[in-house]
Amino acid sequence: MRGGALVLVRLALLAAVLLLWEGLPRSGIVNPMLLPPLSDVLDALVVILGRPDVHHALGITAAEVVVAFAIAVPLGTALGVLSAENEYFGEIFRPMLFYVFSIPKSIFLPMFILVFGIGFPQKVAYAAFSTVFIVIMSASAAVESVKAEHLLVARSYGATRQQILRRVYLPSMLPILLEALRISMIFNFTGVMIAEMYASRVGIGRLIADWGENFEMAKLLAGVILLAAAAMAFNEAVRSLEARCSTWRA
Amino acid sequence: MQYMAGVSGERAGAMKAAVDVRGLSHVYDGRDGAVPALQDIDLTVPAGRFVVIVGPSGCGKTSLLMMLAGLRLPTSGTILCDGRPIAKPDPARVGVVFQEASLYPWLTAVENVEFPLVLKRAPRAERRARAEAMLRLVGLDGFGARHPHELSGGMKQRVSIARGLVQDPPVLLMDEPFAALDEQTRMTMGHELLRIWSQTAKTVVFITHSLTEAVYLADEVLVMSARPGRILDRITIDLPRPRTYQMMATEEFGRLRERIWEQIRTTP
Amino acid sequence: MSWPAPRTVRRLIGVLILVLWEAIPRLGILPELFIPPLTKTLNVLWLDRAIYAAALLVTLYEVAVAMLIACGAGILIGSVVGGVAGLRRLMLPVFSSLYAVPIVILYPVFTAWFGIGSESKIVFAGVYGFFPVMLSTAAGIRTIDEQYLLAARSMGASLPQLIARVVIPASIPTVLTGLRLGGALTIIGVVVSEMLTSANGIGYLVTKNRTTLDSPRVFAAIIVILALSVVYDIAVRFIERRTLVWQTAGRGASAGPTRALPAQASA
Repeated sequence: MRGGALVLVRLALLAAVLLLWEGLPRSGIVNPMLLPPLSDVLDALVVILGRPDVHHALGITAAEVVVAFAIAVPLGTALGVLSAENEYFGEIFRPMLFYVFSIPKSIFLPMFILVFGIGFPQKVAYAAFSTVFIVIMSASAAVESVKAEHLLVARSYGATRQQILRRVYLPSMLPILLEALRISMIFNFTGVMIAEMYASRVGIGRLIADWGENFEMAKLLAGVILLAAAAMAFNEAVRSLEARCSTWRA
Repeated sequence: MQYMAGVSGERAGAMKAAVDVRGLSHVYDGRDGAVPALQDIDLTVPAGRFVVIVGPSGCGKTSLLMMLAGLRLPTSGTILCDGRPIAKPDPARVGVVFQEASLYPWLTAVENVEFPLVLKRAPRAERRARAEAMLRLVGLDGFGARHPHELSGGMKQRVSIARGLVQDPPVLLMDEPFAALDEQTRMTMGHELLRIWSQTAKTVVFITHSLTEAVYLADEVLVMSARPGRILDRITIDLPRPRTYQMMATEEFGRLRERIWEQIRTTP
Repeated sequence: MSWPAPRTVRRLIGVLILVLWEAIPRLGILPELFIPPLTKTLNVLWLDRAIYAAALLVTLYEVAVAMLIACGAGILIGSVVGGVAGLRRLMLPVFSSLYAVPIVILYPVFTAWFGIGSESKIVFAGVYGFFPVMLSTAAGIRTIDEQYLLAARSMGASLPQLIARVVIPASIPTVLTGLRLGGALTIIGVVVSEMLTSANGIGYLVTKNRTTLDSPRVFAAIIVILALSVVYDIAVRFIERRTLVWQTAGRGASAGPTRALPAQASA
């Protein structure tokens, strides 16, 4: 099946799903109280996009996402690079890092709440906390991906440390760093959502949790669609950037 | 015993050509249209001969081998093996040894060798005995219980050869089997292969990039051109058997190598 | 001067953490509200062991069922989508785009549909674990060396034989990775959902005791969850060690740390 045909089939599948979403609740096969028809959800989407309180919530969430990212990425990168450059340090921490990933980090939310109370700093701190580990791992992997041979060649030609950084490390690491950025953002966004849904008075996560509790299903689903679209948009944008930087990779 | 082709001694005296290819051509669908891969290949290998095919990368030697093995069908031409056409894989007639040993890591060496017999549902005792006999033949007696990851590159290829021979096919096809080995192991393995061949009197069609290997092993070297692959020359290697390492230093050896290289180098 | 072995350092760090956990609150460096002394937490855990045990049972039940769904469906669908070239090219990009979405935003939907009991947790954690397992299985299926299939065909294997004797044994490392992944993620999914809206389970105990500012009991619940994750991890590693023979196939199922870790592990 070639490219064009693939897109058509996918669109057809999407259309089928959308049709079901509209038809099943309207015909009563599925309880419309639980799953409002697509048209109702889209109406709700338009409505919430116009509401100032929703704008406010989106703004807060966006701020949390950005600030948490701005903390986690430099911190994680520094630690990751350190862990890759210093073998001893790396040997100690790598197994611990893997363990961390199988632990539900949300269990530490109460600690953050106890320390920071409920508010912006707590959510940012928690999101940064959930993100920093993947950044460490990715940065470490990125450094290690720079082939030893490439470095050797550069050094044998007398390249200075600065030149090696710019001309060997950077181009080599760029695609991996972009991918790391993309994945870290997914972690980050998830962290912010969990913190907002768990204990927060503001933010879009809080809003959709409230809508859920009040069975305002149309708004809830509209919110879900909105957030999903935002997440996917960011993801695809970085992915296409990655692709452009990766043309040289096998 | 219907899963085995019969004792090789019967084959030695057969007048029938072991492998007979007539007018084989192959064209495949590339990204930008039809690509001629092989062109009018005529090839007759008498029983019991060791034939080596050399050629530049991409000339279609592997495709040719795939067709001899029945793994691929040519667009035109016929392939006869032992007088009968080959249209699908028939391990009782044609054994195949690949470049990557492709042994199954979850099976032990002996289990890998008896795998073709398992596929034919041969009784356990018989297939185990047969597999162990093959391992002995390739010099791996006692290694049957090892897993592939415990074996060296050369040993893995020996197991692969044993597997190719387990159903006693009259023809053995080998696609650059030693390419992944280091030079010293290659030389040892080449020597070993000749020993195994002399003890079993199979017909061997062997593909390689190495001119030295070709001259060392072959009764006859077929030189293929670049795509579309054609047979450019058939060079008989008259060196006495059994071949020895010392022969590699002789003038005769050097001349034969040069002749092959000349052909490959100068033909467009 | 020789440095101590990394393993020793790790153990020392572990011990240090335990010591600090006890010392810092007792010495008044941090208020007990933030972090109660370890001994106090353990004591409270012991006193209320019946409550914690009951909650743990609920959580374990949810994890078990969710794991069945996530791993079962994930491996099955992953094998099919990954194995059939047409399906793969069609669906895989769609699925990997979808996985950028934080699944936790679906939890309110599930609670609205299934209530705050175990059903919503199971569905949520099932979906949570499903995507990564499916994606990693689909990727892993492709690493089954083409050569294995070619070799088997050259030996005259029929299609059923190919599947039973080559594809399935060769897929075992992939399946095991999927199970390891799926299990860890379903635990995370269950815990997160229990913490958010629930009436039962260990996660619920965390939230309930936090709102009453009963720090020792909060931390007691945290310890139980940590123990659960660690035990699961150890059990899986044990199984992986036993199946080393397949693992050393070399054709690895994982392609690097960033690829091997799904976003769901951020929770």
